[in-house]
Amino acid sequence: MSPDSATQLHLGRRQFLAGSAGGAGLLALASLFRQQQLLGAPGAPTSLAARPAPFPPRVRACIFIYLEGAPSQLDLFDPKPRLNELDGQPLPESFTAQVRFAFLQKETARLMGSPRVFRPYGASGIELSDLLPHLSQQVDNISLIRSMHTEAFNHHPGQLLLNTGSQMFGRPSMGSWLAYGLGSESENLPAYVVLTAGRGTSGGTSNWSSGFLPSNYAGVLFRNRGEPVLNLANPPGVTQELQAASIAGLAAFNGRRQARLGDPEIASRISAYELAFRMQSAAPELIDLSGETEATHAMYGLGRPEPELGNWRGGPKGCFEAFSRNCLLARRLVERGVRFVNLVHASWDHHSDLDRQLSLSAQMADQPVAALLADLKQRGLLDSTLVVWASEFGRTPLGENRKGYDKVTGRDHHPFAFSLWCAGGGIPGGQVIGETDEIGWHVTRDPVHVHDLQATCLHLFGIDHRQLTYRHQGRDFRLTDVGGKLVPQLLGTT
Amino acid sequence: MRFSKPIHVIAGCLALVAALLGSTSTTVLAQQTLPPPAERTVDFETDIRPLFALHCDSCHGAKKQLSGFRLDREGEALRGGDNGRAFTPGQSADSLLVKYIAGLDPDILMPPEGDLLSDTQVGLIRAWIDQGAKWGQDRPATVQSSTNQRHWSLQPVLRPVPPVVRQTTWPRNLVDRFILQKLETEQVTPSPEADRATLLRRLSFDLIGLPPTPAELEQFLADTRPNAYELQVERLLAAPHFGERWGRHWLDLARYADSDGYEKDSPRPYAWRWRQWVIEALNRDLPFDQFTIEQLAGDLLPNARPDQQVATGFHRNTLTNKEGGADPEEFRVAAVVDRVNTTGSVWLGLTVGCAQCHSHKYDPLTLREYYGLFAFFNQADEVDLPVPLPTDEKALVSALVQTSPVRPSQILLKGDFLRPGEPVPPHTPDVLPPLPTPANGTPTRLELARWLVNPGHPLTARVTMNRVWQQLFGQGLVSTPDDFGTQGTPPSHPQLLDWLATEFMLPTLEMVPPPMPRQPPVYRGPWSLKRMLKIITCSATYRQQSNPRPELGERDPRNVWLARQNRIRLEAEIVRDAALAASELLVRTVGGPSVRPPQPAGISDLTYASRTRWTESTGPERYRRGLYTWFQRTSPYPMLMTFDAPESNVTCTRRERSNTPLQSLTLLNDPVFFECAQKLGQSAWQSAAGSQDQFLTALTRRSLGRDPTPEERQTAEGVWIRFRDQLRKQPEQIRLLLGSPPSTDSKDTAPPAESLEQAVTVLMARFILNFTDSKDAAPPAESLDQAVAVLMARLILNLDEFITRE
Repeated sequence: MSPDSATQLHLGRRQFLAGSAGGAGLLALASLFRQQQLLGAPGAPTSLAARPAPFPPRVRACIFIYLEGAPSQLDLFDPKPRLNELDGQPLPESFTAQVRFAFLQKETARLMGSPRVFRPYGASGIELSDLLPHLSQQVDNISLIRSMHTEAFNHHPGQLLLNTGSQMFGRPSMGSWLAYGLGSESENLPAYVVLTAGRGTSGGTSNWSSGFLPSNYAGVLFRNRGEPVLNLANPPGVTQELQAASIAGLAAFNGRRQARLGDPEIASRISAYELAFRMQSAAPELIDLSGETEATHAMYGLGRPEPELGNWRGGPKGCFEAFSRNCLLARRLVERGVRFVNLVHASWDHHSDLDRQLSLSAQMADQPVAALLADLKQRGLLDSTLVVWASEFGRTPLGENRKGYDKVTGRDHHPFAFSLWCAGGGIPGGQVIGETDEIGWHVTRDPVHVHDLQATCLHLFGIDHRQLTYRHQGRDFRLTDVGGKLVPQLLGTT
Repeated sequence: MRFSKPIHVIAGCLALVAALLGSTSTTVLAQQTLPPPAERTVDFETDIRPLFALHCDSCHGAKKQLSGFRLDREGEALRGGDNGRAFTPGQSADSLLVKYIAGLDPDILMPPEGDLLSDTQVGLIRAWIDQGAKWGQDRPATVQSSTNQRHWSLQPVLRPVPPVVRQTTWPRNLVDRFILQKLETEQVTPSPEADRATLLRRLSFDLIGLPPTPAELEQFLADTRPNAYELQVERLLAAPHFGERWGRHWLDLARYADSDGYEKDSPRPYAWRWRQWVIEALNRDLPFDQFTIEQLAGDLLPNARPDQQVATGFHRNTLTNKEGGADPEEFRVAAVVDRVNTTGSVWLGLTVGCAQCHSHKYDPLTLREYYGLFAFFNQADEVDLPVPLPTDEKALVSALVQTSPVRPSQILLKGDFLRPGEPVPPHTPDVLPPLPTPANGTPTRLELARWLVNPGHPLTARVTMNRVWQQLFGQGLVSTPDDFGTQGTPPSHPQLLDWLATEFMLPTLEMVPPPMPRQPPVYRGPWSLKRMLKIITCSATYRQQSNPRPELGERDPRNVWLARQNRIRLEAEIVRDAALAASELLVRTVGGPSVRPPQPAGISDLTYASRTRWTESTGPERYRRGLYTWFQRTSPYPMLMTFDAPESNVTCTRRERSNTPLQSLTLLNDPVFFECAQKLGQSAWQSAAGSQDQFLTALTRRSLGRDPTPEERQTAEGVWIRFRDQLRKQPEQIRLLLGSPPSTDSKDTAPPAESLEQAVTVLMARFILNFTDSKDAAPPAESLDQAVAVLMARLILNLDEFITRE
């Protein structure tokens, strides 16, 4: 065989996808979708081939902004004038008798008001804190949930519950479930991409793991500087031409083997190499922001001056720039057909020094996140893209008087009530969902559990969360475990 | 999959129907007032129990307890479910149960399917609650259904009579008769035996996780003795790398890692000592019953030796949360739970974890029985013991010791350590053989371990043999290796599984090899793993070709009948080992602490434990086998994870085998693999005396353990020309491709290659000098060929075949 005929030995992407089976679970998936009469013949493509949702989707992509560590809802999203009045008072026994704290000393704990100034914004008049001046300009695009609650009490279990629907290890993350359910619309990039800024999360890869699903559904961690995907650059001396010749040569050798043995797994391998090769050019193009206008750069805060960070827990110098860049990259990924983008930043775990720490973190996130919403909207992408701002739980209305603290300057973990917001995907903007009591301790109206949020996200993608399952260890697992109720306000069905 | 209709739809329909019919007897959604309680004395047996039985039992009875709620027994009913107490005697107006059945809750209407309760019926239940919620006699529980009693895996293991088969020349041992029986029933013939080169590569990967060297291959190809193959099996079983290969399988089960996990993810500097114990135990073929006892309860053996205490490190691989504010008791309990679940998966092949929160829905394991198992491990405390070891004068090891005084165990409601229920003594599930009670009363982990490996136990040997089969064929006879329960897949060859299990526990076949000079006598008695490996790998079934058989694609798509072997992508660690071995960079030292080979910069920054920074190992430590790579739970070595190594947070009984573009990028571009290509290409070229043909032979033998086919030679020639023409256009790349002279600090443990290596170094140095002398001149032909050889080697190391055991 001549080298030229070797290059012609090119297997179509579809063939590759059809060949890479993902085990019995995929067959189950195919059968689910077939039941909905949406997949054609038995044995229709599985793996990462794009496939239609069981019912008409409102969104085709999700940008999940995960701010790890529990940003204080009382200082950002949920104003509590009464809490300010009660500042310094003990909490009634009825509140604290049944609860645990990580660090608080129950007996001497006192309520702590917020120094933040809340004002109504936009046509909707939603009140936000002065720490979010840019996001305030976008309130009419967001749906703010003030009634989130969770069972998880420590960070890592809470992270797992938020990202994978279970506090146990080994479950697939939401992005993996979506990649499994819907495949990828991108020819040259993975279906599920993770971008981090700063220190990374304490949970590490378990937050974007594919769990028991095949590993091709796991989040692919793009790095925010240098190579976006590991090992994208050729080794020294291997030019693009030599790489192309190598891929062609590999296809020739592998093709011979396949012709001899007839194992479809070899065809998958050939195509995996071809996608890898395409990623080598697509990924650098993706992170090259030089084609973006100056106005876009400025909007996302690229090149903005970074304040003196001191002992900020949000990351090393350069973190503001990295976060801005990730937000812009998220838009570029969605434009290129990527299904699920996870933007990760840690840590917002402000047990002490809350005012300064939170101010810096909010300053880092506020402008680029607001820019992302505005940018998606102006490009007509917001309607088909779900944007979520979330964390694993919230923070206490009590000041943290941990042993050894001489001053109370922070708040402890609070799973009973916290805030997050969603935007895009046809979600009615400018609304507040749910309510907490006068000090923000408990949810008093329209509670939304983490599973409810997850169920609603899947619904927006055209998937019934109870039906997207995978058989593992003898039972059908799903993202929402045994819970999950749709949040009607998010769907605009109330 | 459960297709229950959304509640509001049903309720809405009912409301509509009610409205249309003008009926008042049907409760409608979000009714605002409660029906009044009945104004008479209510009798539980006649008025209430029938209502519960008819409307509630299917979801809240003995079989299912949805939302953690059970309504057919007084205790559980009073305790309530996930949403809290269902009712408090005397207070029907505040009862959740009443609200749900009366439609007063906007989200929950009970029952979700079937008829709703009428106002009169709700009134009866209200009256019953108000009158004190008195129960009659609980009826005898019907938990143990006859289905469970008959479930195959719970039956005693009896040695089956090997079946009679028509074809009598094919079977090489009894294993084959079980396989052939099925094939003959299906009228399918087995595949032919694979050729010798394939067989040796398969055996080498399966038994020691390394490819055969060209010399080993040559020796085997030339060996005309009738038992040449068996001798290879014996050689590999005796190799010190055997313990590395089979130890890594065991490490998967033990969720082995070098760090704590969770947020802090602190290093575990002593973890490797347990790994060392595993490698050595497998190498000396410590019988599996003893292997089990020492790991689960080595500390409780009379006069426990230090190595037996080290063995208990098996259950020290659980995660540890030192996150600020974490309740130590919560994570102590989490570790005990993980020990129970891991023991369940590894020895019992049962997903006992379900019963942590509720009685197992499908398997005969109750909540109470779960906490009976829990009670054994709740008596084990973690210690770091100073122990004298042969390798280290005095060293700390992570071990378990018996808690003193006894820590009482209780049921934890919904698995929550803050909700203790009734006390539970250590005991084993009723459906399994009884646990002999020790003289002093309370059984310990030692009794539990001995009970597991009692030949009368129906699960341990079956589960273990199934995993062994899985390693040798790519899938087990039971394809759900951690679920031998009613939800698992039944065995494809139940008799074969039972034969293997009995032969494992009570050997009958004569398998002792002739004594070998300078080798200690081998153990081939009861519970010998090596003995069973020899039986299976010597079978005709194992030796078949692995080529897919298109004619069986429809009838047996997953090759359950085993009319052929399977092609199996190598595991993550073995992919690395194979590349290092082919290029002769591999440092074959067995055992020792974990090492940190090069990984892309920035990986360890992904977590925020500052103590996890990756300090690259230097010298030979960079070239150790994959299983020695430091495993940091929150930022594991990317190459391993890309190839589906388990995350090591919980036990893993079966690895995924994915096929992704990230794997391609790793093999193409990762510096470790490129270094292998440089070394392999240059050294194969050196051995070829300028002949492309000889080069390709050397390259293929070293990497694929066979000779190239004539077609491959043709393809290679074309590729070679293309690489060469490219490099002629871009000669400045040649020097980069050749890289620096092979590092000399890697060879202190690989003496045989020393002289060759030195020669290469000298030659290399000369080429480099040539470049510096004549930068602008055409590249010396020799260095051009060398660079092409590197590219060719890189290509071969990326072949599907290279990372596949065929």
